[in-house]
Amino acid sequence: MTDRHTPEKDSAEFAAEAGSLWRITFAPATWAGHFLLCYTLFATGCAKGWPVGTVRHGLIGMSVLALAVIALIGWRAYAQWSPRSTGRIVNPRGDAEDRHHFLGHAGFLLAVISFIGVVFVTLPLLLLEGCR
Amino acid sequence: MTAMSRDPVTIGRGGPSRAIFAVFLLCTTLSACGDRQSTLNVAGEDAAAIATLFWVMLAGAVVLWLGMNGLFFYLSRVAPGAFPDRLVRPLLIGGGIVLPTVILATLLVWSLTMLPDQRAPDDGLRVKVTGEQWWWRVEYWPKGAEAPVVTANEIRLPVGSRTGFELDAHKVIHSFWIPALGGKMDMFPGRTTYVSLRPEKTGTFRGQCAEFCGASHAWMAFETVVLPPDDFEAWLAAEARDATPPEGDAARRGAALFAAEGCGACHTVRGTEAVGQVGPDLTHVGSRLTLGAGRIGATLDDFAAWVEHTGALKPEVKMPAYDHLSDGQLADLAAYLKGLE
Amino acid sequence: MTETRATRSGIPAAEGTYPPTEAMLAEPVPAELQRAQAERLRAAWAAPKGWRYWSAVNNTEVGVWYCMTAFVFMLMAGIMALIIRLQLAVPENDLISADRFNQLFTMHGSAMMFLFSVPLFEAISILLLPGLLGARDMPFPRLSAYGYWCFLIGGVFVIGSIFFDVAPRSGWFMYPPLATKDEGMGSDIWLLGLSFIEVASIAAAVELIVGTLKCRPPGMRVNVMPLYAWYVLVVGGMILFAFPPLIAGDFLFELERSFDWPFFDPERGGDPMLWQHLFWIFGHPEVYIIFLPSIAIAAMIIPTVARRPIVGYSWIVLSAVGTGFLSFGLWVHHMFATGLPSISLGFFSAASEAVVIPTGIQLFAFLATLMLGKVRVTLPMLWITGALAIFTMGGLTGVMLALAPFDFQAHDSYFVVAHLHYTLFGGMIFPVVAGVYYFFPFFRKKLLSERLGRWSFWLTFSGFNLCFLPMHLTGLFGMPRRIYAYPAGLGWDGLNMISTVGAFVIAAGFAVLAWDIVRPKGRQPQIPRNPWDAGTLEWSHDVPGESWGVRSIPHVTTRYPLWDQPGMLARMDSGRYYLPDAEEGRRETLLTSVIDAEPVQVQRVTGPTWITHLAAFFTGGAFIFPTFHWYPPAIVSGILAVACIIWWLWRDTARPPEDETKDVGLGLRLPTYASGPASAGWWAIWITMLGDATAFASVIFGFFFYWTARPDFPPDGAAHADGTLVALACAGFALSWAMTIGARELNRRGAVGAARLGLGLGPLLAIAASAALLGSVWTLAPTSHVYPAILWAIAVWVVAHSIVAVIMQAYCLAGSIFGKLTPRYDADLWNSTLFWHFHALAALVACAVLGLAPRLL
Repeated sequence: MTDRHTPEKDSAEFAAEAGSLWRITFAPATWAGHFLLCYTLFATGCAKGWPVGTVRHGLIGMSVLALAVIALIGWRAYAQWSPRSTGRIVNPRGDAEDRHHFLGHAGFLLAVISFIGVVFVTLPLLLLEGCR
Repeated sequence: MTAMSRDPVTIGRGGPSRAIFAVFLLCTTLSACGDRQSTLNVAGEDAAAIATLFWVMLAGAVVLWLGMNGLFFYLSRVAPGAFPDRLVRPLLIGGGIVLPTVILATLLVWSLTMLPDQRAPDDGLRVKVTGEQWWWRVEYWPKGAEAPVVTANEIRLPVGSRTGFELDAHKVIHSFWIPALGGKMDMFPGRTTYVSLRPEKTGTFRGQCAEFCGASHAWMAFETVVLPPDDFEAWLAAEARDATPPEGDAARRGAALFAAEGCGACHTVRGTEAVGQVGPDLTHVGSRLTLGAGRIGATLDDFAAWVEHTGALKPEVKMPAYDHLSDGQLADLAAYLKGLE
Repeated sequence: MTETRATRSGIPAAEGTYPPTEAMLAEPVPAELQRAQAERLRAAWAAPKGWRYWSAVNNTEVGVWYCMTAFVFMLMAGIMALIIRLQLAVPENDLISADRFNQLFTMHGSAMMFLFSVPLFEAISILLLPGLLGARDMPFPRLSAYGYWCFLIGGVFVIGSIFFDVAPRSGWFMYPPLATKDEGMGSDIWLLGLSFIEVASIAAAVELIVGTLKCRPPGMRVNVMPLYAWYVLVVGGMILFAFPPLIAGDFLFELERSFDWPFFDPERGGDPMLWQHLFWIFGHPEVYIIFLPSIAIAAMIIPTVARRPIVGYSWIVLSAVGTGFLSFGLWVHHMFATGLPSISLGFFSAASEAVVIPTGIQLFAFLATLMLGKVRVTLPMLWITGALAIFTMGGLTGVMLALAPFDFQAHDSYFVVAHLHYTLFGGMIFPVVAGVYYFFPFFRKKLLSERLGRWSFWLTFSGFNLCFLPMHLTGLFGMPRRIYAYPAGLGWDGLNMISTVGAFVIAAGFAVLAWDIVRPKGRQPQIPRNPWDAGTLEWSHDVPGESWGVRSIPHVTTRYPLWDQPGMLARMDSGRYYLPDAEEGRRETLLTSVIDAEPVQVQRVTGPTWITHLAAFFTGGAFIFPTFHWYPPAIVSGILAVACIIWWLWRDTARPPEDETKDVGLGLRLPTYASGPASAGWWAIWITMLGDATAFASVIFGFFFYWTARPDFPPDGAAHADGTLVALACAGFALSWAMTIGARELNRRGAVGAARLGLGLGPLLAIAASAALLGSVWTLAPTSHVYPAILWAIAVWVVAHSIVAVIMQAYCLAGSIFGKLTPRYDADLWNSTLFWHFHALAALVACAVLGLAPRLL
C-alpha cells in the first residue's frame, strides 16, 4: 500500500484526531475545573463571609453538571473505541484504525476515572457544612 | 542529667465504658500501645475515634496486602500459568476500579463525618496557647472570665468536658499536639487556629510541638494533667492567686538573688516586682512537673541544673546559662523557685 | 494542523513514497556502500577523545554522567541519613549538635528530592529515550549538556555547603517565617541553588517532551509507542506545571530574604500560608514526578521477564494521564493540620483517595502481565517483586493518611516518615535499581553480577523493612519528625535502635550495589546483543557500542518490533531504513509528525562544544553570587551567560541550509529546514512558555491569595500604582507585540525593510513600556507592606521578561541584517513571536492587576 506523502494528508489526519485528543484531556480537565471551583469558591466564601450555604448548594449543582459533561464525553469516547461493533477490545496494531480506537479507549477510561473523582469530591459537599 | 520524674498523678478509671475501650485496655496491659505520648494509648474522645478508624484500616490493609502479594506470589512462583486469560478484565475492572472505589468511598464518608467532632465547640473552658521558641504561653479563660489565668509549659484539664484551644504563635510556626487526647493543630504567627479536646481519663499525658520550629524543636514539650472536675477547679483557683513567698532562709536568699540577677526582666512572678513578659510565667513554677518546657523534671537539683546549663540542655535557648553562680547560690535559687507553689 | 505552515514559506514539502513497500525493504544494500556509509556515520557521531571527551553532547555520554552524578549525590544524602540514624539510636544522644542535625535532615531531604530523584528521571530518560524511539539523539543535545553542567555546578554548591557548616537548616520544605528569619546563608543557598537546578530540570523536561513528540521513528503511532514514552510525556507535562509555582515561591522568598519585602511576614500583611500552598502545589505532584518514571521502568522490564506483551496498554496510559491530573489536587493533604475549613480538607482528602485508583490499576495491569506470562526470575524481576511488596504497603498507609482525621494524629510524626520511605523506596528506589540491572548491559555492554545482585537485594530489602516498619509504631507512639534527640521512657528507645540497625543494613546493600557498578569488568565477556530477549528498540543497539544510536532509523508498526517485525534488525544494520548515511559529515536526525509519526523533516543536530560549559558556568554565577549578596558580579555573570547562549544559538541553530531537501532513503525526500509549528524549536518554546506562564500565574495567585486571606489587603488608604503609567505600559507592550507579529508577516511576504523597521521599533516600545511599568510603582515602598511588595514583584517579573523579549527582537533584527533570517528561513522570528504572545499576555494581565484590581476589589 503506497501513497503519496504530502503535508496535506498529515493535516487531515490531525484534524481527524483533534476531537479525540480533546476528549482525552477534557474529562480530567472537567474534574480539575470542578475541583478548583469547589476549593476556591469555598475558601473565598469563608474568608469574605459570603453565604456559604448557598455556595455549597451551587457547587452541588456544578457537580451534577460536571458529571453530566463527563458522562457525555465518556459515551462519545466509548463510541469511538467501539469494542462491540469491531469485536476488538485491544488495539495494538500500527495502523490508523487502531490508533483511532485506542484514543477512544483511553478517553473512555479517563472519563470513568474522572467521573469517580468528581463523585468523591462531591462527598464533602454533601456531608459537611459551614466554615469551621 | 536528671531523669524525668515519673507522673505523680496515677491513671484513673474515668470515662465511658465503650466497647472499643476494651481493646485499648487490653492493649495497655500488654504495654504494646506506647507510653504517655501515644496516639494508641487513648485517653480522650477524639483520640479514641481516630484510633478506632486506624485499627479498622490496619486490619483492612493487612488483608489487602496479603491478598495482593499472596496472589502474585502464588501465580508467578507456585503455579505459574494457572491464570486464565478470561480473568484479566475482571481483575482490572474489579480489582482496579470497583473494589478500590467502594472501599475508598466508605472510608471517605466515615472520616468526613468525623471531622465536625474534632472541632466541636467547648463546654465552657477556653485555653489560649501561644507557641514561643521553644516553650508554651498558656492562658485559661473560664466561662465569663474577664482576665485570664496565666501560666506556662503545662496544661491541666477537667476530665469529661470539652475544652477549646485557641492557638497562635509568636515568631515561627509550631504545632500543638497531645497524642493521647486527640489530633494536632498548627500554630501560626498572625492567625488564630482552633482545636478542641475532651479527655475521658484522668492522668498525665505528654504533649509536644510537631512542627519543626528551629534548633530546640526537640525540646518543646509539655505535660497535660487531666483532673477530676472539682480538683481542676481548685487548682485553677490556686493558680489564679499571686505567688506566696516561700518560707525558709535558703528560699529568701534565693528570692534576693532572683531580683539581683535581673530574672524579673524576662519572667513574671505575680505579687513581686518581677513582671517580665519575654519568658515563661513563674508564679507557680514550683508546682509544675517539668522545667524548660518538658526538658527535665522539677526537683531542686533540676532547678539548679536548668539555671546553670540552659544552653547545654536546650540549644540556642534565649535564657543565658547562669554558670557564674556558685553551687550554694544555685541551691538558694532552686529553693526559692521550687517554693513558688 | 501543525504541518501546513511549513509549506507557506515556500520550503518544499516531503515527497516520495511513504510508508515503504515490502519490496523496497527487501532490496539488499551493496556491501561496499554499507561500509562507506557506516564509516561516515561513525565519524559524524564519534564522541571526542582525550580531554576533549568532556565536550561531548551525545545522549549516551551526557546521560551516563548525569546518572552517575545523581547516584553520587544519592550516596552522599544516604550517608547523611546514616548520621541522622546514629544520632537517634539512643535517647538523649549528643553525638552531633542540634544545629548539625537540622542541617543534615534538611539536606538529606533536599538532596534526595532535587539532586537525585528528579534529575535521575531526566538522566535516565536522556540516556534511554533515543534508544527506545530508535532516534539518533535527543532533539537538542547541547541543551541536555547545558542542563547537566548546570545540575553539576548547582548540586556541588548546594551539597557542598554541609562541609562548611552553613547548609540550610529549616527543613526541605523551608517554611517561613522560620526560614525567612534564619540567620546565615543557608536559606539563600537552598533557594538560589535549587532554583538554578529547577531551571535546568525544566529545560530537560522540555527537551524530553519534544523528543517524544517529534523524534519517534516513522510509523510509531501514539498507540504503539513504548509505555516509557507515554510516561515521559506525562511526567514532562507535570514538571511544567509543578515546578513553576515553586520557582515563583522562590522568587518571592528570595526577594524577602534579600530586600526585606514582607511576603511571608504576618506583621506587615504577609502570610506564611502562601508559601505552604506554592510549595505543596509543587511538592505533591513532585512525588508522582518521581514515582511515575520508575513505574515506567517497570513497564519496560515486566513484558520482557514475562515474555509477553504488556496487558492493558490503554489502561496503563489512562492511569499515567489520570494520575498526572489528579496529583495536582492533593497538595493540601500536607496542610491538613493548618486549620483550613473542614470542607476544604474534605475536597483534598477526596482527591487524595481518588488518585489511589489509577495507581492501583497500573499495579493490577503489571500483575496480570506477570501472571499470564512465563516469568523468568532474573535480577531485575527480583527487584520489581520487592518494589511491589514495599510499594503496596506505602500505598495502603497513604490511604490512611489521606483521611484528614487520621492525619491529625499521624501528621509530622514518624508514621509519615515510614509512609514516605515505603512509597519512595517501593515506588522509586527498587524499580530504579531493577532498571540499573536491566539496562546496564544497554549502556555498558556488560552484565552486573548475579551473586552480588542477590546479596544487594536481600540486604536492602531486609534492612529497609527493619529500618522503616518499626517507624510506623514509633510515630503512632507519638514521636514527632525532625527532632534531634528525645527523652527516654516514652516507648521509643528500642524502636529507634532497631531502625538504626536497619539503616546500616540498607547501607550495606547499597555498598554492594555500588561496588558491582564500579568494579572493573575488563575480563568479563561481552554480552550478546539483546541479552534479555526484549522486544523494544533500544536492544537493537550494536555490541560493541556505536555512538550513532541506530545504524538506520527503522519503520516501526508494532509495540514490540524486535519480537513482531522479524528481519527488521538485519535491515537496520545494513542501512536499509532511513538516514543510513551522513554524506556531509554532519549529525542529523529525523523529525516525525506528532500523532502518526510520519517523517516530516531532517534536522541537523548540534555536536561537541565548550560553549555549554561556559554558559552553565556563568548561569551558575548569576545564581550563586547573590547568596553572598555580591550583586554586581551576579549581574555580570548573568550578562555573560546570555551572551554565551546567544553565541551558541547564532552559530549553530536555524542556519539556512545548503540544500532545501534531502534524500533520506527508501525513496523519500524531506525538507531540511522548518519554521513555526513544523519545527522542533517552536514546540520547545511553546512548552517552555507554558511553564513560564504557570510561574507567572502563581505570582498573580499570590496577589489574590492575599486579597482573600488578609483583611488588610490592600490596606486602607494605601497608595496604588500610577494608573496613567500603567495604561501607557499596557499600550507600549501591546504595540511592541503588534510590531513583532507584523514583522513576521511582512518578512514572509518579502517586505524585508518594513519587517526590519518593525523589529527596530519593537524593542524601543518594549523598553519604554517597561520603564512606564516600573515608574508606576516607583514611589511605593515595598518593604512597608505586602501590598506594594507584590505590585513591585509583578512589575519586576514582567520587566525581566521584557529584557528577554527585547533581546529576541534584536536577535531577529540582526539575523535579518546578516542573512541568517530571510523570508524563506524565518524560524527565529516565528519562535520570537511565540515568546511575545505569551509575554504580551502576561504583561496585559500584570497591567490589569496593577491598574484595575485595587480599584475594583
